[in-house]
Amino acid sequence: MSDTLLLLALNGLIWGLIIALIALGLSIIFGLLDVINIAHGDFFMVGTVVAWFTLQLTGNFWLGFIVAPLVGFILGALIQRIVIQPIRSTAALSIVATFGLSLILQEVVRITFGPTPHRILPPITGTVPLFGIQYEIYRIFAAGLSIAALAGFFLFLQYTKVGTWMRAVRHDRDTAIAMGIPAQRIYILTFAIGFALAAFGGAVAAPITTVDFRGGVDILPFCFMAVIIGGLGNLPGTAAAAVLLSFMEGVIQSTADPTIARIASLVLMSAVLLLRPQGLFKGYVR
Amino acid sequence: MTLRSTIERMLFALFAAFMLSVPWVVPAFVNDFWVNLIAEVLIWSLFAASVNLLFGYVGLLSFGQALYFGFGMYGVGIGIDHLGLSFWPAFGLGITAAVAMALLSGVLAVRLTWHYFAIITVVFSLIFYFLAVTMKSLTGGDDGINFSMPPTFSFGGTVLSFTNQTFQYFFILTTVALCFYLMHRVIRSPLGKAFLAIRDNDVRASLIGLNVYLLRLIAFVMAGFLAGVAGALFAFFGRYASASYMFYHVSGEAVVWAIVGGAGTLFGPIIGTSLFIFIREVVSTRWEHHALIVGVMAILVVIMAPKGLVGLWRDLLGRLDDRETSGNVAKKLRTEP
Amino acid sequence: MTAPILETRRLTKRFGGLTAVNDLSMSLPSRRLHAIIGPNGAGKTTFFNLVSGLLTADEGSVLFRGQDITGLKPHAISRLGIKRTLQIKSVFHQLSVAENLWVTYRASHGILHPLRDASDDPAGRERVERTLEQTGLAALAERQAGTLSYGDVALLEIGMALISDPKLLLLDEPTCGMSPAETERAVAKIREMAKTIDIIIIEHDMTVVFGIADDITVMAQGAILASGSPAEIANDERVREAYLGRPEDEDFVEEATHA
Repeated sequence: MSDTLLLLALNGLIWGLIIALIALGLSIIFGLLDVINIAHGDFFMVGTVVAWFTLQLTGNFWLGFIVAPLVGFILGALIQRIVIQPIRSTAALSIVATFGLSLILQEVVRITFGPTPHRILPPITGTVPLFGIQYEIYRIFAAGLSIAALAGFFLFLQYTKVGTWMRAVRHDRDTAIAMGIPAQRIYILTFAIGFALAAFGGAVAAPITTVDFRGGVDILPFCFMAVIIGGLGNLPGTAAAAVLLSFMEGVIQSTADPTIARIASLVLMSAVLLLRPQGLFKGYVR
Repeated sequence: MTLRSTIERMLFALFAAFMLSVPWVVPAFVNDFWVNLIAEVLIWSLFAASVNLLFGYVGLLSFGQALYFGFGMYGVGIGIDHLGLSFWPAFGLGITAAVAMALLSGVLAVRLTWHYFAIITVVFSLIFYFLAVTMKSLTGGDDGINFSMPPTFSFGGTVLSFTNQTFQYFFILTTVALCFYLMHRVIRSPLGKAFLAIRDNDVRASLIGLNVYLLRLIAFVMAGFLAGVAGALFAFFGRYASASYMFYHVSGEAVVWAIVGGAGTLFGPIIGTSLFIFIREVVSTRWEHHALIVGVMAILVVIMAPKGLVGLWRDLLGRLDDRETSGNVAKKLRTEP
Repeated sequence: MTAPILETRRLTKRFGGLTAVNDLSMSLPSRRLHAIIGPNGAGKTTFFNLVSGLLTADEGSVLFRGQDITGLKPHAISRLGIKRTLQIKSVFHQLSVAENLWVTYRASHGILHPLRDASDDPAGRERVERTLEQTGLAALAERQAGTLSYGDVALLEIGMALISDPKLLLLDEPTCGMSPAETERAVAKIREMAKTIDIIIIEHDMTVVFGIADDITVMAQGAILASGSPAEIANDERVREAYLGRPEDEDFVEEATHA
């Protein structure tokens, strides 16, 4: 019995690391561009599909880890330029645009990839003894890869010029622009990185989930949960929330219906939205 | 009377005449199926109207109206299937459930700024979607429950029921028209003007003495009522209720219909909904990827015509009107130094 | 001796490490036009925000005609009779000028009927007409407020203040951004209103201040630096140093002392 618990808990933990990557992408898009990106789950899905196509075309899965975020980056930049930028004046409508984008992405994938889900075999098979149970090597590898990507992303933000610019724009847009930071390019970069992170997460997750045009639908609420509960603008918080929530859901799953776990997370998210004081409530002039 | 209002009145008269004659005119040109489709369009227009009331007139973007639609739908479904209710009690149950849910969730949601308001409306609808999926015995989950249609009216020897296509059509038409008429009255009322003030500038609104929270809550409950009626009608129409109609996709589509049609206009929801449902019907017979059209149109409208079709129409006619009166306006404006 | 129209006791508001309003106690008598001046960041608008309820005080209290209004919501404070304009002029931009006035009137008079037609309101329409005349905006009645010039928006704001029958009017930099001609008109309106309404005005334009104020309070860094008649303020050393220490202001000061 506790073996299942351990297994599910580990799965949850590792899945949470992958989600953390995706949720960070969502967070920077929300934080810097003020856009609620309904299509973000589909960005992840596109990553899984690109990984699958890469495998089909080249026979090499590892290539997918490079191709998927690259495709994501380019698509993200294009989308920002063509779709998001023209509507910056009417912010509420950006939700409608990203919803439309979500539909488009799902249908395009359905047309090119097909409506039936596919599975990818992990490139590393086999298990390894861990904490007394046999655990899939690939999942451990996926965890390592996610941690490396997360670390890389935080280092990028902290120590590179562009990363610092992004943090400046996030912190105080007007001052950043006044100081000469090219805000427009930062926005494009942000969206591109957001898509790339999600796509990379998709490539990493592809062997342990199904590749399906509807694959993003479930991921989306979870990412939002991580962003809200972790705190908007709080990137480490978001990553931590993603891991904790997924771990929690994994643990609950061992005893209860997974849907119950999902409901519990959603209720928690509502509580945070309603009770957290800073900037969540209808604040008047501050 | 301006040119615009004359044209609009004429169009409305034509529209009303057409709607009243559908059960006879339409089968003459196409077939019976389209009568049902038009009835369905009316139901979804009402749902889109609930989104429009909140977004177009109060400035609140709700992405979770499917929750109240679902409560209306399940109120009827569960009422008939599990509680053995007849038509009117089931209808009442559906509407009451939707309004109650709107009140409860509104009290919480309406306090938030618009980003978080939009998010929490989805979260609430997701919670209940998952609940509905788990409680399969009650709701039938995603597969849903089917039930037989109790009669609407039965007096003496006459029985009127939704199984009669013409009666079904007119009942839906009457109910939807009534709801739209109520909306029309509210929008033109002092309450409606207060809504617009809040939409334009909520801080200013509070400073002139408007209780912004309370007014938003009122609007939210009204929108919940509209969505609930739509859901109840839908359940009667299809003799069917399913959790899949509570998913955020349904809410999102209604937002697209409302905005493409024209947010903040009375007829916007009808135009937008009709457009998309007809596209779906016409396209899906030849091409199954009509969702692509929905997505592309949503983006195009948001970028190029955010006021929607009715908004464009008004601007167009407004310019025709202005050319007539521009002479007078110029004279008046010259009194300013 | 009538009760002060507005009184604050040890009013304090902090934003993180910054104390915007610091232990502010003041008592403003009725029937006087009161001006608050001070450098940027002195806390003047924060003070208005606290009084009108847009901000909640961390410490202290605000009393309006002897009644404690600390912590009340903005719409409740508005209904008690305190009305204000905002530093950055803003009205209901998609409504017409007349509708802006009308909704302001209705917001403070009676309940909002959900079904009766809004145009079916003779009392309201009459007030709107009168206010349009008073502010000189009659020609622009049907124009969308969002299309007005800045000066006209300011007039509309004043009109909205008038039509709401305020007992205390807080004007936040009413002439900011106005041309000299517009400023003159606005000042005339304010003087007119001051005959029947208690007004507190935040201003940067010294001609306006010394021209219409009965009393002046100078704020700096969240506290009161000095308070008194225009002449007293003009001669106050600390004020001259902190705020009026510019050669061109000497002229206004001279005028005011001889006014």
